Amino acid sequence: MTEDYEVEFVEREEREARFVVRGITPAFANGIRRAMIADVPTFSVDTVRVVENSSVMFDEQISLRLGLVPLTTPVDEFEIGDEVTLSIDVSGPNTAYSGDIVTSDDLVQPADDNVPIIELKDDQRLEAEADAVLDRGREHAKHQGGVAVGYRHLQRVEVVGDKEEFAKEEPEILRGVIEDDGELVATETFDNDLTNRYPGKEVEVHDIPNAFVFHVETDGSFSVDELVTAAIDSLHGRATELKEAVQL
Amino acid sequence: MELRVIEKEDTMLAIEIAGEDHTFMNVLKGALLETDGVDAATYDMNPEQSGGQTDPVLTIKTEENVDALDALEAGTQRVIDKSESLQAAYDAA
Amino acid sequence: MMVPVRCFTCGSVVGKHWEEFKARAREGDEDPDAVLNELGVERHCCRRMLVSHEDLVDVVSPYQ
Repeated sequence: MTEDYEVEFVEREEREARFVVRGITPAFANGIRRAMIADVPTFSVDTVRVVENSSVMFDEQISLRLGLVPLTTPVDEFEIGDEVTLSIDVSGPNTAYSGDIVTSDDLVQPADDNVPIIELKDDQRLEAEADAVLDRGREHAKHQGGVAVGYRHLQRVEVVGDKEEFAKEEPEILRGVIEDDGELVATETFDNDLTNRYPGKEVEVHDIPNAFVFHVETDGSFSVDELVTAAIDSLHGRATELKEAVQL
Repeated sequence: MELRVIEKEDTMLAIEIAGEDHTFMNVLKGALLETDGVDAATYDMNPEQSGGQTDPVLTIKTEENVDALDALEAGTQRVIDKSESLQAAYDAA
Repeated sequence: MMVPVRCFTCGSVVGKHWEEFKARAREGDEDPDAVLNELGVERHCCRRMLVSHEDLVDVVSPYQ
């Protein structure tokens, strides 16, 4: 028996998306979330060989900053542990940006090119060579592809009656996505306050079982679609591996 | 993924699955509980600081005429089916 | 000293917004709130990274 899932997007962009999944169990939803954060590998600078650094920051500080710059990671092209060499050479007076990083492999590039690495004054210079390595988020947070990945229950708001004539006018704050007559409404559209949408009404809010609203954001290493696909794939791969091991 | 059977009876299985964590074990446990013929399924995992066994140990108990290993296989198949149909649903959206 | 590359709390890349934020909200006279919204820096963990940052390279460099 296979499950029937239903996916519906509330908002969808290259690097950020919100979508509703219906018919998913909490265990599976959490597995997907955890896989997106800790199991989908991304490239990140791991070793830096400093040739010259006369900037105001120590080599270690520069290395940390280089490590945090997200690098584009094509899915399925590399294996965990693969390395790509990068280099940077900037002389002051100038600011070294992530865009100044030169890569030996066009597939692996800085995802954004305007992240300041270090501001260089007259006669200061930064020249370094770095090895980026492909690894998982559980090894180091810099390898996390998903940023602020999470989910909440989809909620249904029911109007149960009118408010009493002299009832207190209190805001009813709600965050997330609600379902109203089969229509998905993000709470931001009514300033997260139910009294704006249902003035003078008595409302009840219920979680809809097995319907979750995922919020997925990536650091730019890949698109949301690639991240979700890779996360599902990682669970799929492990189940296949276990099944084969059991069959022996 | 290395497996080590700790205890095995016809309707009971305790197996250590090396290298896995909550991400997969909880999904598997959830799928097993939905599988026909499975009475109970759970896993136990200790934090690294405990100094003891840290790899997850999966325990399955099944109904009388169901072999626990077959149930585990069915459970993993269920995870595979789930991920394939979720992928299909995502691609369709 | 230099603006942090990522938000300490959530890990979103905030460094890429710094130059624009600085030009518009610090040196310019736009409302920081509006600028941050426009840049898509929505969470307050990320917003504080930019709002509370101070460039110190110019202060430190004479002592190199």
